[in-house]
Amino acid sequence: MRHRAAYVAFDRFPSSKGSAVHIAQMADELFDRYGGGLLGVIGGGDLPRYQREGTREIARFDARIPNLIDRAEAFSGWVADHLAPHWETLEVCHVRDPWSALPAVADGRRHKVVYEVNGLPSIEMGHTWPWAAPSTLGKIRELERFCLERSDAVVVPSRVIGDAVRERGVPEHKVHLVPNGADVPGATERPADAPERYVIYVGAMQPWQGLDVLMRVFARLADLDGLRLVVCASVPERRAKPVRRLAERLGVADRIDWRFTLPHHEVAAWLAHAEASVAPLTGCARNLDQGCAPLKVIESMAAGVPVVASDLPAVRELMADGEHGRLVPADRPAELARAIRVLLEYPHEAAAMGRRGREHIEEGLTWARSRARLAEVYRTLDR
Amino acid sequence: MTRCTVTTGFFVLGRCGQAAAGSCPHCARPVCAAHAAPGGACPECAAARGYRTQDPHDPTWVGNRRRDYYQRSSRTYQDTYWYSSFDEYDRGAFNPGDDYSYGGDWGPDDDTGFVDS
Repeated sequence: MRHRAAYVAFDRFPSSKGSAVHIAQMADELFDRYGGGLLGVIGGGDLPRYQREGTREIARFDARIPNLIDRAEAFSGWVADHLAPHWETLEVCHVRDPWSALPAVADGRRHKVVYEVNGLPSIEMGHTWPWAAPSTLGKIRELERFCLERSDAVVVPSRVIGDAVRERGVPEHKVHLVPNGADVPGATERPADAPERYVIYVGAMQPWQGLDVLMRVFARLADLDGLRLVVCASVPERRAKPVRRLAERLGVADRIDWRFTLPHHEVAAWLAHAEASVAPLTGCARNLDQGCAPLKVIESMAAGVPVVASDLPAVRELMADGEHGRLVPADRPAELARAIRVLLEYPHEAAAMGRRGREHIEEGLTWARSRARLAEVYRTLDR
Repeated sequence: MTRCTVTTGFFVLGRCGQAAAGSCPHCARPVCAAHAAPGGACPECAAARGYRTQDPHDPTWVGNRRRDYYQRSSRTYQDTYWYSSFDEYDRGAFNPGDDYSYGGDWGPDDDTGFVDS
């Protein structure tokens, strides 16, 4: 089978992480438009190395290479090998990171390259790999710049990251805003093991997610009898070790319920019955300079839950303070705790915020709308 | 009855479950008539035959796959030293085995992506 389209990402797919939801939506749109295609992603574990669904083919890279740079370069080579059989028929190659992009932007290609920038590794890897030298991150930045320069269109999920991309010299006309979205869930049943009253955190466990702040916040809400914190982590249990240690030190561990790698529809049910959803993103370069487009905020609003989030430019793009929830300065546990406390004391106003949040998603931030915008980007490439 | 164990689904994965018509001559898994490729191979083995070996322990993969890709892309860069520009010092920070290395372990459910939503 020779494909007209390919979508490549250095991400595990499918998985319980937000990136997998995003990949599913974007790749589905691409393959709908081009009558199928090749999805090149990370595999391993139980996932098959190759899979075919009608006109769609999934190839998964599962080489166990411990060093990230070695692994990324091997992935690049693997992508090159997998694109090679389709070189003559390929019309669009959609990529999510520089190592996926590198083989796609090679000389002699006849296809167009769409580079979807959800984050910039040169900024993000400084946080996830604190021992990486600035000179190393500089090399990664150069790699990003090279791939962005040679791409035909750059898709960004927020204006903040659009600015970061323009700063790297990408001309305005190549940058297209395709916001993240959510599907508004119908009525969901309360999870059987849900506590009476709880606030919820949904997402991964990296340091920039601000879970340490959230633990300190919860310590300040110790007087609220019966209130529990539910953490729906999209990563396996052992990733939570540092946060759980901190919770024990702060004396809040016995008021926290942990759920790990729940399927998406179960997370939606947990969200829908929470008193508030908290997104305590820290005010670090990763969140401020490159921005982010936190799915947790969009999905919480879609579930009709008021959101208490850090006041970051990327979050402001999605929600308004006092309208859909509360925005508080980042890294300030006292202020975050106060905002949650006020929300809990005014349940009618909180419910109204939740309703307005849901309407806001229905009006402008659905996956259907995001996909329509992506389709428009593909149309501009065809011209 | 032996059932077809081919994985199906795009976002939510499951097993085919139809009655198996035979077993794949390469990996011996049961395959139904709808999923058997010419020669009776399962879709995974059939697709894999379209590509060269991806086994990192296979010396030809190490010796040829990466090298010929590196050569090709270094022409793209017009810089034959591009890949060697990530030296041991650069790579050292990305070795696994310490608590800081959030992306350092390698398991089926680990963080593997470079960026997160």
